[in-house]
Amino acid sequence: MPLLIRNFRTSFYTDEGVARAVDGVSLTVSPGETLGVVGESGCGKSVTALSILRLVRPPGKIEPGSTIELDGQDVLALDDAALRHVRGNRIAMVFQEPMTALNPVLTVGEQIAEVVRVHEPRASRQEAWDRAVDMLDRMGIPGAADRAHHYPHELSGGTRQRVMIAMALVMNPAVLIADEPTTALDVTVQAQILELLADLQRRLGMAVLLITHDLGVVAGVATRVAVMYAGEIVEEASVGDFFARPHHPYATGLLHAMPRLGARRERLEVIPGAVPSPTAWPDGCRFRARCQFAWERCATEHPPLYHVTSEHTSRCHLAVEPERRGSANGPQRSRLGDRASV
Amino acid sequence: MAGLVVLAAVVVTAAAAPLLAPYDPNAQLDIVALKDQAPSLAHPFGTDPLSRDVLSRVLVGGRVSLAAAVLAVAIATTVGAAYGAISGYAGGKVDSIMMRVVDACLAVPRVLLLIAVLALWGRVALGPLILVLGLTGWFGVSRIVRAEVMALKTRDWVAAARALGAGPGRTLFRHIIPNVISPVIVSATLAVANIITLEAGLSFLGLGVQPPQASWGSIMQDGAGEVRALWWLSVFPGLAILVTVMAVNAVGDGLRAVVVAKDS
Amino acid sequence: MTAAHHPKAAAPPALLSVQSLVKHFPVARGVLGRHVSTVRAVNGVSFDLASGETLGLVGESGCGKTTTGRAILRLIEPTSGRVVFDGVDLLGLDPGALRRMRRRMQIVFQDPYSSLNPRMTVGAAVREGLTIHRLAEGAEADARVRRLLEEVGLRAEHATRYPHEFSGGQRQRIGIARALSVEPDFIVCDEPVSALDVSVQAQVINLLYDLQRARGLTYVFIAHDLSVVAHVATRVAVMYLGRIVELAPAAEVYERPVMPYTKALLSAVPVADPRSASRRIVLKGEVASPAHPPAGCVFHPRCPHPLKDATCAEIVPPLEEKAPGHWAACIKEPIQDRAS
Repeated sequence: MPLLIRNFRTSFYTDEGVARAVDGVSLTVSPGETLGVVGESGCGKSVTALSILRLVRPPGKIEPGSTIELDGQDVLALDDAALRHVRGNRIAMVFQEPMTALNPVLTVGEQIAEVVRVHEPRASRQEAWDRAVDMLDRMGIPGAADRAHHYPHELSGGTRQRVMIAMALVMNPAVLIADEPTTALDVTVQAQILELLADLQRRLGMAVLLITHDLGVVAGVATRVAVMYAGEIVEEASVGDFFARPHHPYATGLLHAMPRLGARRERLEVIPGAVPSPTAWPDGCRFRARCQFAWERCATEHPPLYHVTSEHTSRCHLAVEPERRGSANGPQRSRLGDRASV
Repeated sequence: MAGLVVLAAVVVTAAAAPLLAPYDPNAQLDIVALKDQAPSLAHPFGTDPLSRDVLSRVLVGGRVSLAAAVLAVAIATTVGAAYGAISGYAGGKVDSIMMRVVDACLAVPRVLLLIAVLALWGRVALGPLILVLGLTGWFGVSRIVRAEVMALKTRDWVAAARALGAGPGRTLFRHIIPNVISPVIVSATLAVANIITLEAGLSFLGLGVQPPQASWGSIMQDGAGEVRALWWLSVFPGLAILVTVMAVNAVGDGLRAVVVAKDS
Repeated sequence: MTAAHHPKAAAPPALLSVQSLVKHFPVARGVLGRHVSTVRAVNGVSFDLASGETLGLVGESGCGKTTTGRAILRLIEPTSGRVVFDGVDLLGLDPGALRRMRRRMQIVFQDPYSSLNPRMTVGAAVREGLTIHRLAEGAEADARVRRLLEEVGLRAEHATRYPHEFSGGQRQRIGIARALSVEPDFIVCDEPVSALDVSVQAQVINLLYDLQRARGLTYVFIAHDLSVVAHVATRVAVMYLGRIVELAPAAEVYERPVMPYTKALLSAVPVADPRSASRRIVLKGEVASPAHPPAGCVFHPRCPHPLKDATCAEIVPPLEEKAPGHWAACIKEPIQDRAS
């Protein structure tokens, strides 16, 4: 039962104008698959994640025409009671900062047990508690029965994140949305958590939507990749295909801009310029101001998601005019300082 | 916003009081005929036991009440902010001792302290009265400023200033204090409202502004003996206090909202 | 740490020599502020740094790298140890002499959102150093500020704006301009790109790299991301719970790491290549608290070394030169004969 997102739009109505944070996103997340949504600040990936569970508050608003389907049900059309049945139960979410996502005045056991009691009112307190302890154990937390009595501030960052994952998975949801789940953790702990997520997915078979800015994390854990820029998906492919043959200039730029362990005291290739403001997305291709290949068509025609292969899409006119790659006539990359744009 | 408009009106009226007042506020107009007159067309706020026009007295009294409040708060804020800033920045033992002093001072109820001081002093002129009001009111400000300074001194930009070579004085006054101003202004605005009421109360008790000086409290004092019969001597100054204090509070709340939005 | 164990750089005299640097924070609890325990944030750090070098100081949270950086500059007062900068013992300086010395050593901070005074214009922030050290005034100072802003990739007209009008990457550039204003020889870069997006990170790393070459700067580059450090460091020091556990030229650390911790750290870095994931060494447990470090080797509870035994919990391993220029703190790793 895949999660289907079609033509999704979320806008924020602010004093500075309407910020179209998510502007026509379509995704499919299938069971047993991890879809990595990658992008930088302001691309709309976190807003997408929050929107799926309708957690976006005013002045944010999900625009009409957006659909989210799970099991053939339109999540956006659900009334409050039905929505509560979905949240935490069929679709669960793990956030970036476990310290702020966990309630500081409840023990971690209680917080997990609460999820059980909310969705299965007929479960007794003892049953709910036992399931909470069981989840903590399955998360690889030693001494789970004791740990369940601890408060969040008594636990380390990695353990707190495991608690969050336990809360998310206790009801065996069909879909797990993980919004930058390891960004706030040390690298060795991150490795542990990512391995845990991969292992859990193998055993539970859920669909995972992993939001991250780190292409390295995506390479390690995801089966498919979707790159977001300026509120849109600009490239989507299987992980192997993406890293072997990235297509969209933003994606290739990002890959080249990533620092590499194998480097030895050398400059990085940068993407000149900065992300445009969401209140004023440029006409045509939104990346053209920063793209070395841009030509006239890019300024006038907003590229659709072309198919590069049957499973690999790219929102770039180069897909239909690949010969243009030969001539780089866009903004030159400067040397010293790499001018910061305003 | 409405508060700002009202407050502006009050301030303008008070400032222009000598021009607006139909009569000299201290002039005893006609001891026989105009004593204790209820409000009428000639005297919209009535007259008091000394045949003075109450409207004029209320207008001029407003000047006194407002000026006294603003000056007293200015004194309190300056002293309190300096004390709190030094205490917060110094930290450690110095801070502990300085704050113990403040704690001790805060333990004494301000009103009682004022009553004691003023009663012992005797008839206090306006200047010393403002001074006393100010000097009894700086403790709260010092705590606020100290808390803000302690929070700010660990900020990276403060460390950057020190790394550049700024000494403690420069760091405190150029880098920390400008960031403390906002909550202090909010607190000061609300303190003005507080002092207006305080001064009125003291004057009502005869300890504040001395006759024949008019202030809202002293007008009420004049009518204290027969509140029912000479109701206009209580009601009109009371209303003036009410309106002004509400306006000041509204402005203070509005400022607080702006400050919170700006700082986040 | 005796002189025999003191890792020295190559022949030219060191610009910076840090010797047995220690910083402990007492933890007080209770109404009377009783001393409860001590956080040993930095527990004996030593290294030398030659002019023009970049020492990458890496480690995870709680390892003490940020405290080390600030203690070197005396922004935090060290508990003990020596910091010798260009022959001058920093810890023995009186306030006036220290202030003059500060011109030569500066710092760039991690968080772009708290490293700039929100009430000061960008121009005023960059000019502050010029004013404090009386380097320039009035029009001359303004001109210098404009040049500095342009040098870091901003525009002269930005000087009249306030920090909140800028993005994270731009704020970092402003912070760098501010540090450069007093013309330092040495800059502590405290996680300068950790809070930035990948594409912005690349721009700022390049800027720091270019500035080093243009101005002959020496850096201590603190980071938790080993791949970032690879682009800038000449030598790398790996820290764990307040100590340096490995110190070697950058290529050595990346290609021939000695310490089990370093190996695990390297393998844990997410790499943009789907085929590399399977070779990850996943450590058990998490970093212990610096207030209660394990006895003996602070890493031993998590160490996957095949020769680990009871002595690892008893002996604090000294930093030894296992191979020329390559120092590691592990009693189980032999000193290598350099055959190749």
